[in-house]
Amino acid sequence: MISLQNVTKTYKNGVTALEDVSIEIEKGEFVFIVGPSGSGKSTTLRLLLREEEPSRGEVYVAGKNVVRLSALGGIPKLRRNIGCVFQDFKLLQDKTVFENVSFALEVIGKPKHVIDGRVPEILDYVGLGEKLNNYPDELSGGEQQRVSIARACVNRPLVLLADEPTGNLDPNTSVDIMRLLDKVNKIGTTVVMATHDQAIVDAMRKRVIELDKGKLVRDQSRGVYS
Amino acid sequence: MAFAAISTAFIALFLFGLALLIAREINLVVDTVTGNVQVAIYLSDPVRPETVTRIEGELQKLSAVSSVTYEDKAQACARARAIFAGNQAIIENVGCDVWPASLRVNLSDPSRYPEITAALGCEPNGTEEVTCTEPGVRTVRDYRQLLDRLSAITGVVRNGVLFIAAIMLASATVLVANTLRMGMFARRKEIGIMRLVGATNWRIRVPFLIEGLVEALIGAGLAIVTLFLILVFVVDQLRGRVPWLVLVRNVDVLAIVPWILFAAGGVAVVAGTLGIRRFLDV
Repeated sequence: MISLQNVTKTYKNGVTALEDVSIEIEKGEFVFIVGPSGSGKSTTLRLLLREEEPSRGEVYVAGKNVVRLSALGGIPKLRRNIGCVFQDFKLLQDKTVFENVSFALEVIGKPKHVIDGRVPEILDYVGLGEKLNNYPDELSGGEQQRVSIARACVNRPLVLLADEPTGNLDPNTSVDIMRLLDKVNKIGTTVVMATHDQAIVDAMRKRVIELDKGKLVRDQSRGVYS
Repeated sequence: MAFAAISTAFIALFLFGLALLIAREINLVVDTVTGNVQVAIYLSDPVRPETVTRIEGELQKLSAVSSVTYEDKAQACARARAIFAGNQAIIENVGCDVWPASLRVNLSDPSRYPEITAALGCEPNGTEEVTCTEPGVRTVRDYRQLLDRLSAITGVVRNGVLFIAAIMLASATVLVANTLRMGMFARRKEIGIMRLVGATNWRIRVPFLIEGLVEALIGAGLAIVTLFLILVFVVDQLRGRVPWLVLVRNVDVLAIVPWILFAAGGVAVVAGTLGIRRFLDV
């Protein structure tokens, strides 16, 4: 599903964020990418989204070499197969819960009957079936993250990328969010989560890939944080 | 900000339209006053048809002549009355008889004017009007210099206005582009999400391009309305006050409407390209 082959990424300012990293992730896996700030976690996710191009090496997502994708059609199509969740939720404050999720389908041209069917369904799935018409500032942090997970999953992506999804949440809420991500993983979605939340990684006992200063230092199935 | 863009687009397109209208006015005046001919051969009274045919034939034999048309006394009088329309004193006191019939000649090459005077046996006397020995010809009038001078003046005026209009169009373009950019900046979070969930570049840009087009077209609409208002409240008030001066009419304004809309479209396209360029990268 995801394959990084000897990937090196050097930014224009000369900083090397990744150095000769190779990672293989199978369909349906749940993978933590851990490491301190600046270790290359976010760069890895940005490469998968094709927000950055690798300086050397190849990146494959769902069988496609992402470097070869065209900006006109290929990259948008890639991103329709990838859901994204962030630490800061990235919700639109002037839209309701329903509108925030339906927005993701509207802008890729899905017809109204598809939107009206799928949006309540996914919001029900993440446990927000009662809050369709609330605005983000009326929700708790955990609820906002659920909306953002609903938005990421509403188009039924093959891969869900999560960049510090529990970074702004208290420990109990974080556990709820992890249960939800696990649920999403159980229905076949490949989940890649960058984090430095030690408690969560230790509790989940999933595959752990550790980066340090851009180098892969550990790849361990059913691992712990360190 | 949208207001600034629309008002600049309006002023720019208005000046652009005004420049085109001034150009039409000048052409109209030149046309009426000179009949747009380079040489007039005035015939002496009474004009005999065979004289006209003979001289016309002689002129057409010259390669320097590109066209010859005959204007009889009635036509000459009608044209004079058009020129002096509004000046009752002249129209009432000057009989139609005084306006001479003429052969009106256009040259294939203006510098070959002497060939005409030579063919008609005229005495060059250093002025623009010469008398000739050819029977039936009263005088030959050389309008080349007048036309040259008129078109020199008109060229300067027209180019000046067009130059200002071009500068205004450029600044309108920049302002519209800036509005689009600010609009995109204000909605950068939304755009970021659109990009993340896989919206195509066109899906993201089209609303902004339409916004630019609407701004430019509103400016164009205001400019067209203003030009018509100027026609009604300024030009129509002057009509008839100044003898010999023919003035532009509604049809002339209508004729420049497509050009204004075309320029507005150009402003929108260039502004769109400039304004969203920074957001082109995926």
